[in-house]
Parts: sequence; structure tokens; C-alpha cells
Amino acid sequence: MPDIVVCFKWVVDEAYIRRTSSGDLDFTSVDYKISEYDRNAIEAAVRLRDAYGGSVTAMTVSVPEATKGIKDALSRGPDNAVFIADPSFRDLESSQTAAILGGVIKSRMSCQLVICGEGSGDFYAQQVGPRLAEILGIPCATYVQKITIDGGQVIAERKAEDFVEVVAMPMPALVTVLPDIGTPRIPGVKDTLMASKKPVVTLGKGDLERIPEASLKTVGMKASRMERECEKFTVDTADIARFVGALQRKGVLR
Amino acid sequence: MNFKLSEEQELIRKNIREFAEKNVDPIAAEIDEKERHPAELFKKLAEGGWMGIPIPTQYGGSGADYLTNAIVVEELSRSCASTGFTVSIHVGIACMLILLFGNEEQKKKYLTPLARGEHMGAFVLTEPGAGTDVMAATTMAAKDGEFYVLNGTKTFISNGPLADTYIVFCWTDKAAGRKGMSSFIIPKGTPGLKPGEHFHKMGLRSSQTSEVVFKDCRVPKENLLGPEGAGMMNAMTGFDHGRVGISAQSVGILQAALDESIKYSKERVQMGSPIARHQAISWMIADMATDLSAARFLTYHAAWLKDQKLPFSKEAAMAKLFCAEKAMHHTIKAVQIHGGYGYIKGAKVERLMRDAKITEIYEGTSEAQRMVISGNVLR
Ligand SMILES: Cc1cc2nc3c(=O)[nH]c(=O)nc-3n(C[C@H](O)[C@H](O)[C@H](O)COP(=O)(O)OP(=O)(O)OC[C@H]3O[C@@H](n4cnc5c(N)ncnc54)[C@H](O)[C@@H]3O)c2cc1C
Repeated sequence: MPDIVVCFKWVVDEAYIRRTSSGDLDFTSVDYKISEYDRNAIEAAVRLRDAYGGSVTAMTVSVPEATKGIKDALSRGPDNAVFIADPSFRDLESSQTAAILGGVIKSRMSCQLVICGEGSGDFYAQQVGPRLAEILGIPCATYVQKITIDGGQVIAERKAEDFVEVVAMPMPALVTVLPDIGTPRIPGVKDTLMASKKPVVTLGKGDLERIPEASLKTVGMKASRMERECEKFTVDTADIARFVGALQRKGVLR
Repeated sequence: MNFKLSEEQELIRKNIREFAEKNVDPIAAEIDEKERHPAELFKKLAEGGWMGIPIPTQYGGSGADYLTNAIVVEELSRSCASTGFTVSIHVGIACMLILLFGNEEQKKKYLTPLARGEHMGAFVLTEPGAGTDVMAATTMAAKDGEFYVLNGTKTFISNGPLADTYIVFCWTDKAAGRKGMSSFIIPKGTPGLKPGEHFHKMGLRSSQTSEVVFKDCRVPKENLLGPEGAGMMNAMTGFDHGRVGISAQSVGILQAALDESIKYSKERVQMGSPIARHQAISWMIADMATDLSAARFLTYHAAWLKDQKLPFSKEAAMAKLFCAEKAMHHTIKAVQIHGGYGYIKGAKVERLMRDAKITEIYEGTSEAQRMVISGNVLR
């Protein structure tokens, strides 16, 4: 009967980001969502609880406006949530997020399993999970596509390039999961309405230990640009030769 | 004034959108083509609590508000107008009428399975000779001891062939005028109740429409919905609620028309540039987006009034009139923007244009809405 902590990030829904004519990114009318892989992580946690008992706590570090994210997470099945919020938490980097999560888990919670998404939908740095495991001093398995629990052990199937690696870790342990772990449910109407009735512990900056300085600085952000060229060829012999030549010049053909 | 939806309403919108993209979009063209009722889809909708959104949980519903229901009808209609409508008439009229006018016994027995989505409801009012003119109805319920005996033919009944629970309107005392009509809850399988001719339609094709025929149909008096003589009042209240749903359906159609038009006009190149850069096209899209916004506000306002327990009959009629006419107008434009490709089966705008037409006809034609509205403002 493991008590599970599942971490999720409330990220900008990229569908709402607009690109201005000067190539800047316009975030003025964006909406937010639970990062895709974290939805898989929540689903995995809830299914494990349903299979083995125990409890699921959803946890996020975000800005205070992210209350909708907490409700969204809770509507997907966790029993309760820990919401660590401060206006300055908008652009945390992975090392800071991991430090905050680690500090709170260590000082306030007892859990046997921590589940994170493999990487977040905005930066996909894949850092929070492994860093958090280090801070907690527990084993970590990444790229996990299946989890089972056997006594005091977590059995994790890791998806490697050409094979699947099965590892066993003593609990407490941490896993970071891939979408293959299971399709997230679509919450029903009642799930959403009930979410706001579940217990939420809200913590502010004052409840935390010192947060490490950021080691990265964002200097600017631009939309990526794809240069396209268009050239027309006909089917006569000379043009076909020209076409092959063009492909060779571009390095498409050798 | 607060124009913001609640966090729950926003989340529910996202969830039903995801549901529709996953479960409705892939079958929408097929169920239209084959005039098929997608029972498997309605089973999934029932599981998620989408078939009884504004009904209290104690009667099998989800316990949300009416605005949330409108948002869900809108998002479903954006994918498939038939699906959105089936939810709308089932919840907005059949369930709501029992919730508002049924007694405790009726709510337990009939409303609960309806709101859970295990049963499907139908609203049975129109007759071959009585559409806009409800008073011209001829279906009679003659009192016979503890029973009423119904005779008559109803037509154009949505869910007619497949409903489990029919809410039926007929005369119990023709001489009493408006106060002589009563409403009944009649379960399927009641001897003497039979779905009649099944209609093939221009649009809204996966919604099942048929006659419902009553021939010496004996109904116990416990099945009266509200007191004898309250039928006309119940029907009008049903329309008020239903019209918010049809407004939402129209908004969904309009949103889909805009989505398709934006996508296509950015891709389609003519005379050296995407057609969206030609002012003739971009202005059509500007008008479409503007009317969509106005339509959505009218709809949400009517639903919000209902949730505040304020009168909303006039606002529901205004929303229904405006949204329906704008849906029709702009789906024609959306086909125009798609040129020949918009006229070919498989183009979503082709289906949208056929589906839009019904919104100007049922639950009161646009002319009938104008009568309601003018009656209200000229009072
Ligand atoms: C697909 C579909 C589903 C339906 N579902 C249901 C259902 O579930 N339950 C149900 O009970 N009914 C249902 N109906 C019936 C629908 O509500 C009626 O068709 C509608 O009310 C119009 O009635 P009618 O067809 O008899 O037209 P009519 O009333 O004959 O109208 C014909 C035309 O005359 C106009 N007109 C009529 N009277 C006036 C007047 N006094 N002044 C000015 N103009 C007027 C109308 O606006 C219309 O343009 C459905 C219809 C369709 C097509």
C-alpha cells in the first residue's frame, strides 16, 4: 500500500502562443495546462493506487494563479494535493523546482514512491526527476513505460532505444514516465466538480528552506524560423538533371 | 460584471473538447452519411456524466449549472451538430421538465435513469397540423377512471424511434383553451404507443426523427406531469430551456465554420497568395468571428440568467433567433470560402451548412422567436 507523490507542472498551452510579424512570441492570451507527460504520470499513480491501495498526492510548484491546475490534477483521481506557490515561481529552472519539491517532501511527507513525467512540455530538460531523487537520496528509474509493485520493491520497465530494461528498486524510489505508461483519462463532469472538495495544502515561500540561485538566465526568446525555398522543375531530361544537382547541392543526395 | 467562466467551467470545456476530438470527430461524417445513431458514443457520454449535467446528483445527474450544459452542447456541436442536439433535447427539455414539474416518485423512477444516460428522452408536441400553432393540436387524452386514453399522431419527434421516456402533450379538455392541455410521462413499451414513419433529413442526419402514434394508449393518472391543464405552461418552460441548448448548438456550428474557414483560407493559394490575404475573404472571416462572439454572449447570458433563477424566456428566444440565423448565414459563407471543395461530400463545411438550417426551424421557427420577442418588448 504505497503512498505516492506525483509531481506535475502547469505549463503554457502552446496552442495559444502567437508569433508576431517580427518573430517574437506573444504570450498575452495564453491558457495553461498540465504538462502532457505529467498527465500520464498522474494516470499511472492513480492506477497504482487503485491496484495496490495507498494514496496519491499531486504536487506542483507554481504561481498562485495556478489553482485551476490543482483542480485539473485532482479531477484526474489523486486524493489530495500540495500546492507550493509564489509569484516568483513563474520561471524556475529545474534545479530550483527539484530543490523546492525535495525540501517539502523531506520535511513534511512520507511516501514510498514519487512519480514524475519524463520531461515537461515547455522545456523538456528531463532534470527534475533525477535531481529530486538525488536530493531525496532514493533510487531513480527514467524512461519508464510500466510500473508494478512487488512487496517493498518497484519493478520498472525502462524503454531503451532497441530493448526494454526491467529494473527493481527498493522503495522509496522515484520513476519518470513516458506516455506509454497509460493514456490519461478524460475527467467526467462530477470528477471536475468534486476536485475542489479534496484537501489541498498550500505552502508559500515562507514555508520553504532557502531556494538555490538560478544558474541559467533567459536572455531572450524567439520563434524558430524555417527557411523555405521553392524552385520549379519540369519533367524534361535537362530539368531532371538540374533537379538531381539541386538535391546534391542541398546535401539530400550524395 | 464578470465575463469570466469559473475554473470548473473552463476545465469542463477542455475535457469535453478532448472527448469530442477523440470520440466524435472520427465518426461525425460517417454517422451523418449513414443516418446512424451512435449508441456506443452515447454510452461513453453517459459514463462521463455528460447526459445529465444540470440535474442534481440525487437524481442521477452531475449537479453542475445550466451554463456548463450549454458549454458542453456547444463543444459537442462543434464536432457534430446531431450529437450536440441529442444531448440538448434529452437534458434541456426531457430531463429539465421532469426535474421542474415531476413529483418525487417520477424523479426517482424516470428522471434518474435519464440523467444517468441509461435512458433517452423525447419531447412529443408537434403534430402534422400543429407546428408553430400548438393550439391546433388534435391528440386527445380521454379520462377513464384512474387512466387517460390517448389517441392521435405526433410528428417530427427527435429520438422518436429510440426513446425510453416520452414527454407527451395533448388535450385533456379542449374546450378550456390553453388551460386544457396536459403533459404525460409515457415509458416506451406502453401498449398503444408506437413510433411511426422514420424521416430522412437534409441535415442533422444522425439524430433520429419519427412520428409517434398513440392508439388507445392507456396511461395511469400517476403519469401526469404536473397538474391537469398545466401542459401548455410546461411546454413553454421546456422551450425556454431547450432554446438555450439550440443557441449553444448554433454557436458550436458557427465556431466550427470559423475554424474550418481560417484553416482553409490560410492554406489555399490563388492569384499568388493565400486567399485569407484577399480582403473579400478576410472580411467574411471578420464578420463570422464577430457574430460568433455576439452569439456566444447571448447564449451564455441566457444560461446565466437561468442559473441566477431570473426570468430568461425573452433572452433565450433572442439567443435562439440570433444564433440560428448567424449559423445559417455564416455556414453558407464558409462553403463559399471553400469554393468547389466546400461543395463536395467530406468537406466539413458542407455538413455544417446542412446542419445549420434546422436551428432556424425547430423549438420554434425564427418567425416564432420574433413573435415571442416582440410580444415581450411591445408589452
Ligand atoms: C429535425 C426536426 C426535429 C424536430 N424535433 C422535434 C421534437 O423533438 N419534438 C417536437 O415536438 N417537435 C419537433 N420538431 C418540430 C418542429 O418544432 C416544428 O417543425 C416547428 O415548430 C415548425 O412547425 P411546422 O413544421 O409545422 O411549420 P409551420 O408551423 O407550418 O410553419 C411553416 C412556416 O410558416 C411560418 N409561420 C407559422 N405560423 C406563423 C405565424 N403565425 N406568423 C408568421 N409565420 C408563421 C413558420 O415560421 C414557417 O416559416 C422537429 C422538427 C424537425 C424538422
